[in-house]
Amino acid sequence: MNLVISAAPHIRAPRTTKHIMLDVLVALLPAAAAGIVYFGWAAAVTIVLAMASAFVTEFCWYIVEHKIWKNGKETFFAFFRTFDFTSLVTGLLLALCSPAAEDALYMPVLGAVFAVAVVKMLFGGTGKNIVNPAIAGRIFLFISFSAMVAYPAAAFGPLSENDLALSTGATQLGNLLNGDPTLSALDLFLGTGVAGCIGETCKLALVVGYLYLCARGVIKWYLPLLYIGVTGLFAVALEAFDFAVFLPSVLSGGLFLGAIFMATDYVTSPKSKLGNIIYFIALGLLTAGLRKATGIEVVSFCILLMNFLVFLIDLAVKPRPFGYVRQKKEAKK
Amino acid sequence: MKAIKGKPFFRGVRLAGHKVTQHLKAECLPPVAEVCIPLRQHLGAPAVPLVEKGRHVKKGECIAAAQGSVSANVHASVAGAVVAVEDRPDGKGGMQPVVVIRADDTQETQYLAPLKDPSKEEILERIAACGIVGMGGAGFPTHVKLRPPVKVDTLIINGAECEPYLTCDDVLMRFCREEIVRGASYMAKALGVENVTIAIERNKPQAIAAFEETSLRVVSLKKQYPMGAEKQLIYCCTGRKVPLGKLPADAGVIVQNAATALAVCEAIETGKPLISRVVTLTGAGVKQPKNLVCPIGAPLSALIAACGGEQNAVKLVAAGPMTGTALTGTDAVVTKTTGGFLLLTDRETNTDPPTNCINCGRCADVCPMKLMPMQTEFYANAGEYENAAKYGGVQSCIECGACSYICPARRPLAQAIKTAKEQLRRKKA
Repeated sequence: MNLVISAAPHIRAPRTTKHIMLDVLVALLPAAAAGIVYFGWAAAVTIVLAMASAFVTEFCWYIVEHKIWKNGKETFFAFFRTFDFTSLVTGLLLALCSPAAEDALYMPVLGAVFAVAVVKMLFGGTGKNIVNPAIAGRIFLFISFSAMVAYPAAAFGPLSENDLALSTGATQLGNLLNGDPTLSALDLFLGTGVAGCIGETCKLALVVGYLYLCARGVIKWYLPLLYIGVTGLFAVALEAFDFAVFLPSVLSGGLFLGAIFMATDYVTSPKSKLGNIIYFIALGLLTAGLRKATGIEVVSFCILLMNFLVFLIDLAVKPRPFGYVRQKKEAKK
Repeated sequence: MKAIKGKPFFRGVRLAGHKVTQHLKAECLPPVAEVCIPLRQHLGAPAVPLVEKGRHVKKGECIAAAQGSVSANVHASVAGAVVAVEDRPDGKGGMQPVVVIRADDTQETQYLAPLKDPSKEEILERIAACGIVGMGGAGFPTHVKLRPPVKVDTLIINGAECEPYLTCDDVLMRFCREEIVRGASYMAKALGVENVTIAIERNKPQAIAAFEETSLRVVSLKKQYPMGAEKQLIYCCTGRKVPLGKLPADAGVIVQNAATALAVCEAIETGKPLISRVVTLTGAGVKQPKNLVCPIGAPLSALIAACGGEQNAVKLVAAGPMTGTALTGTDAVVTKTTGGFLLLTDRETNTDPPTNCINCGRCADVCPMKLMPMQTEFYANAGEYENAAKYGGVQSCIECGACSYICPARRPLAQAIKTAKEQLRRKKA
């Protein structure tokens, strides 16, 4: 017998990182499908390009890192064994939060390469990145091509099936907050006639993905609700308790996509339960506050900002073991 | 009494049972030619050998005496000649002092006189004389545990057996019910308590049904790992929490294993010391999984032979798959604390290499002690053991292995916590 020696436990749960990432991909499918339905073939091409370039980037990184040309075939297959689908999730998320621009198809490619190579692999690959790669990729595009990302209507004209001039989620949001709503809450929820990025307009599809993730135990059900709820309530509070702004502020922009898929990213959110609650409440307050202050869509910036604070939250929250007894305060002298 | 439903504890994991030997009565192991009896089968100091090479011993004769306050006697499990008193490999990578006895045909036994209606002191003396230790795995000497430093009011007989694969306690509870009840009543008398509870997980309905006909208070527990851990068991049966860093006795409870109760009953009513126990040999790597009654010191190779041999086993494990030790070979022996041996095939066990932590928090979600294993591992890998204790928690870890089990990145979390614990202990010393 050739025996394996290792530390206990000797059995493991069947689920690995790969399975979790596949679950996230599946949960994003409805949103991607809705995006393709609303925005046409440009959306499909954007999604495919972003995912493909994310995958190719990771593959190239692996080739360089492991010097496959020296070690031969085994390392080549080793890549497919170790590949954990995180790059595909990054690529898909990035595509879903960028506009469907048929005359700027280099954008999703550049964004995906930046997200995977600079934000993820440079820091050590899966699990080592400090900020969410998809968010960082989107912000990279936003800063580099701000004319297109911020004002896609000017860049590529009407795309939605209602032949409405596309404006960004941010503009939409600005209108709503100024008390000039052109769309009903149901329109916002279904994404019909709403301008915005590929994956963020159809909230119904995102909610389907949310339910799937909860059912599979990938995310904790209360965290996205906490983010969305706090954002809505704080927006209401900022408008002197005008509850009419609750639904529009919750349903516009990239809040659902951000709350369900981006902020819940394991790597860039706190480790503990209490830490996560603090993180999501802070996100909600920050989003509503910055939206009010700037009048544009800020979800991705808020998540990026909070990503940097995760380490501090983790240091602040210490475990309190089962059977913990509160130390009695010593009598003051 | 009718079974009461115990409450679940916080977190924990659900494991597949794999208890294929659940319905098999314990068989006797065929006589073995040689037994190799370790002198340290318990917590505390090793016993001091009383015999030398060449001496003939009878079955049940004391061959090594307890040394110090936390220790236990060791007895000959077969009649025969002592062929060696030396250090031998323990199958776990180290050496241990052993007494090797070659069995002969004399079959002579030397048991103590049976006790009738014993007093409290007589019970405790007899348990000490018979070398009885906690048979669930830790091996804490029972006579020491039955003299708690503070007054207790409840005795819990632990029949949870939450580890997958193992069924040794299950078969005992099913087929030796009366002995366990009597053993429990002797221990209750020694402790001076009225409340005796037997706690059984719900995946053993026959055992629960068997004890419902007795006078014991029966608690049926949710199938949840690690239900058999002392602190979790006490919480689920009584609702009391053992304060951090304190003993179960501080919550007024003593927990004893079901197999220990049976050993106590035998020691008092027949005078038989702890020289044999039920061992489950199972896993897909063994042809016919069985429950075997084995003499202490029987080699694993004899057990495998009695079960029809091995097939495609890649891992040998002493005790359950969650907390057991991987063995280096079949020269390991049955001890007082061995609940079973597993022969695991490649499909059952995990040999995947660890990947990067993705920070999913599942380890903290399942930790029954509410610790943060990923933090502990992060700091322990960097050698910062104080920070590991501060941000992750180290000392209160019960080493159940639930964190490593659930980890989707296959990281050895429990191992990192054990390392941190050991390093902190060394630093303190």
